[in-house]
Amino acid sequence: MNTNSRIWHLVVILAIFSAPLLIMYVFQVMDSFTERRPDSLWPGELDLSNWRFLWEKIDSGRPSIWVVTFNTFVFATTTAVAVTSLSTMAGYALSRLNMPGRPYFLGGLIMLHAFPTITLIIAIFIILQFLGLFDSLLGIIFVKAALELPFGIWIMKGFYDTVPWEIEMAGVQDGASRVRVWWELVLPQVKPGLAALLIISFLSGWSEFVLPLVLAPGSSTQVLATYMNAVIQDDATADFGLFKAIGMFYSIPVIVIYLLFQKQLMNIYGGGTKG
Amino acid sequence: MTSRFLGITFLSPALVSVILFFLLPVLLTVVFAFTNMSTSTGIMGGDYRIIKDQLRSLPDAGVSNESIEQLETAGFQITETGLAALARNFSADTAEELGRNYMGETFTARRDLERVLRGLDDPIRKTRDRKAAADLFAVTIMGERYDSEASFRTALASTGIDTADHDALVNVAYTGWTWTTDNFRLLLELPSTLRYAMNTAFYVVCTLLFNITFGLFLAISTFYLPAKLANTFRAVWFLPRILPPVLYVLMWSWFTWDNGFIATVTGWFGVPPQNWMMQTSTHAWTVVVLINGFVGASLGMILFSSAIKAIPTSMLYASEVDGANRWQQVRFIILPQMRWPILFMTSYQTLSLLTSFEYILLATDGGPGRGTEVWALAAYHTALNNYGGNLQYGLGAAYALVLVVIGIALSALYLRFFNFKELLIKPRIEQ
Amino acid sequence: MELKLNKFTKRFGDTTVIKDMDLTVASGEMLALLGPSGCGKSTTLFAICGIHKMSGGTLHFGERDVTTVPAQQRSVGVVFQNYALYPHMTVEQNIGFPLKVQKLSKSVIKAEVARLAELVQIGDLLNRRPAQLSGGQQQRVALARAMIRKPDVLLLDEPLANLDAKLRLEMRSEIRRIQRETGITAILVTHDQVEAMSMCDRIALMKEGKIVQLDKPENMYANPGTQFVAGFLGNPPISFLPATAGETLSLGGNQTLARPSTLDAQGDIVIGIRPEHFGPQHGTGLEGEVIFVEPQGREDLIDVRLDNGGAICAILPSGEPVKLGQRVNWGVASERILAFANDGSRL
Repeated sequence: MNTNSRIWHLVVILAIFSAPLLIMYVFQVMDSFTERRPDSLWPGELDLSNWRFLWEKIDSGRPSIWVVTFNTFVFATTTAVAVTSLSTMAGYALSRLNMPGRPYFLGGLIMLHAFPTITLIIAIFIILQFLGLFDSLLGIIFVKAALELPFGIWIMKGFYDTVPWEIEMAGVQDGASRVRVWWELVLPQVKPGLAALLIISFLSGWSEFVLPLVLAPGSSTQVLATYMNAVIQDDATADFGLFKAIGMFYSIPVIVIYLLFQKQLMNIYGGGTKG
Repeated sequence: MTSRFLGITFLSPALVSVILFFLLPVLLTVVFAFTNMSTSTGIMGGDYRIIKDQLRSLPDAGVSNESIEQLETAGFQITETGLAALARNFSADTAEELGRNYMGETFTARRDLERVLRGLDDPIRKTRDRKAAADLFAVTIMGERYDSEASFRTALASTGIDTADHDALVNVAYTGWTWTTDNFRLLLELPSTLRYAMNTAFYVVCTLLFNITFGLFLAISTFYLPAKLANTFRAVWFLPRILPPVLYVLMWSWFTWDNGFIATVTGWFGVPPQNWMMQTSTHAWTVVVLINGFVGASLGMILFSSAIKAIPTSMLYASEVDGANRWQQVRFIILPQMRWPILFMTSYQTLSLLTSFEYILLATDGGPGRGTEVWALAAYHTALNNYGGNLQYGLGAAYALVLVVIGIALSALYLRFFNFKELLIKPRIEQ
Repeated sequence: MELKLNKFTKRFGDTTVIKDMDLTVASGEMLALLGPSGCGKSTTLFAICGIHKMSGGTLHFGERDVTTVPAQQRSVGVVFQNYALYPHMTVEQNIGFPLKVQKLSKSVIKAEVARLAELVQIGDLLNRRPAQLSGGQQQRVALARAMIRKPDVLLLDEPLANLDAKLRLEMRSEIRRIQRETGITAILVTHDQVEAMSMCDRIALMKEGKIVQLDKPENMYANPGTQFVAGFLGNPPISFLPATAGETLSLGGNQTLARPSTLDAQGDIVIGIRPEHFGPQHGTGLEGEVIFVEPQGREDLIDVRLDNGGAICAILPSGEPVKLGQRVNWGVASERILAFANDGSRL
């Protein structure tokens, strides 16, 4: 489109609408590092005391941030790996393999989108207690992985669908079994999908709040989301400097991934939710 | 290996987790919705016992006053077990003498039994001891735990309470959960139900409108911007989508609370600091819709942007050659092409907004009062987290069940809409 | 190796696509399965290579019954329309893949790949990836990969469809050369009659799931069994005109042609005249007006509207002074007229 003076009107309007977000981002970063006078918006002096949670317990009874970070990392990576590997197999079966009941599986897959967390979590709460997995990392890993599966399978099925059938036919003609065809010929074609799914389910696990809140409320299984929420809830003085510092720390992996894969992420979120 | 076998093998791990954490929970939600499960009933069944607090409600359960009185005051009886305990704790002689003279006799009040104990040839002298000794012969079932109905009934029989009242007492005494349709009756009767439903409808409609109009606006306006500017705006709007909700809502809290951004800025103009999020329901709703709307608009922006990119550029050039201005181009070329993505966005978001509560939970927690309590949040509060502490799993499941039913109905509708047949193309390798 | 399809039937769900088809391909022969799209030629190919299951009938490679043998063990090499090269492998890995599956030693694979690369003349491309190759080069790699197992049968599915005109000519003769050199039994699936006629020993022309004629290309052209066959072969296509057979062939509107001596039918028939059999070199006989002239370089295609309303096409060496709108009176090689009954069968 050719440049046009009217574009500046558009930019101004967009900027006004985006202002709240921009202000939030700027002060999010600024306030975590500086001490600001309450009635001013100018940054004060550099002040790292907001980051004290890194080297000391901010109050008694709260687990160390490093334990919590480790929990979050374990939770996010295991669910991401589990979701990706299960979806990779199931997606292939649904996309390519001739098997009984395939239409029902596909229909069911779409239906599963209709059951987000809240409709299931009460029953899952009780199932986990029954299985003895309540308030354990393993329990929420299972649940999170299962809840992410329909999305993951759908994404992977979409990627498999774009691989030309002829590649598989050629592999079969060349004497390779279906498993070998899948592993050696088809999987390399869907690598971008694998990477995308791995990243997305990692992000989703890293951000997950409700599942750990309900299903693993103990302090030994706390993740960053519940940790941060607990700090906010328990603090009567609304010490936003501290909250924001914790938030900064919490979001480091997210920002890094975002900066590295922004374009791919937008594509997936744009296309992946179709259907 | 046939692909049939391979397919099942590949699918089964996913299938197991889906069955365990989707189908089973849905089934259990249905089951729980028809029970009165709660923290006090437990989930594993229960035992039988009547405690003092329940006595007052007994007449309502149809138990006669006489029986209640018996329950309350009954009683002491000289039995073998009591005597054995007496022999162990005090003296065998006393026990032997008491058994010889009073075996089987009952006393309504402890004082009577104590008098007997004092009057024995080998008496218990200390008042405190006598009290303790008398207690060994207590036969009341009050506060006693029985782990089966049969043992509870046996105990009831031994108290001599009118058998006509036994069934009612068994019901009252049961501490586990029972089957009931009360949850649905409650849903229909409670005024709060309607309130939550209205809240949900309001929330879904407002957020959806915001998402779609704003998503469209963002997509179209960034389409006309130079690539660099457009990408900057897209990046600003995409970030909320992947930021952890806890952090995202925290930023909004800072923006709106009484020591936050708005309060600071308005403070310069002499407005006293106030909480712009929780002041009134209107404030709360505005913030809730904005919080969800900004996230939803970014999804709309991404979806609509890729739809606009899919419009053949020749079509846009053609319209320019035909002399259409920007506005006409948007109105007559772009918007008509957006029909399908808008439809998709509407249906997809309706479903997810209906059941989402994470951001509201973090931002207002349904407040102020119950002002922003939506249906899904009400289910969460009822069953999983409330200040009263008694979590009503049964009632919560009934709330959730309503959402399950709506969800299934809507997605069945979408399945018909979005051309499910296309999915059913048969695999091309037949082995 | 001889390939024999006996009473082959294929159903998809309730619809029968091919019913009781018999086909024998002689050892070392190259046969074309020719037909319009949807005629069942690809279905037949997929059944022969084992990707589709046969709903009925048998398939033999020589003496071996392979009807229910899975594709992996059939010993069939296939070249697909889009070549289906594995994008993540080099040319060498692509060609060697069938042998790698058989767990042959690396040195053997290397030697075999080199031999095949020599055969298809791509020895200098072995380290490239498919995306770095031209269409013709990809085609050669696909051929080499299909042949490296020394299969009993080579199947080619529209191998030239994705090439530009010049490459197509080149690959046409290349494929034929390689097939001749190796003496492999081959089946070429195509909708292009020129490809079929120029490359193959015999053509099986298919229509609606049936083989309507199986013959040598020249026979099929000169002596088509039905009106469909006559119309399908030949470019520019044959012109059909309704006629009444009596003493002469009357085309209506006072236009008549001499009867071919072999024709003994009477009454309403359809005659077919190939473009090369109509023109001034055949004397006079049909009067009309030139309505279209299409110069093709070496020759010109000329459409003539006859006075009775029928249209007929002629092909003349270029340079003939024929103008649009010109009235002509040209003759027909009457012995070469093909006559058909109204149901399309040959008379």
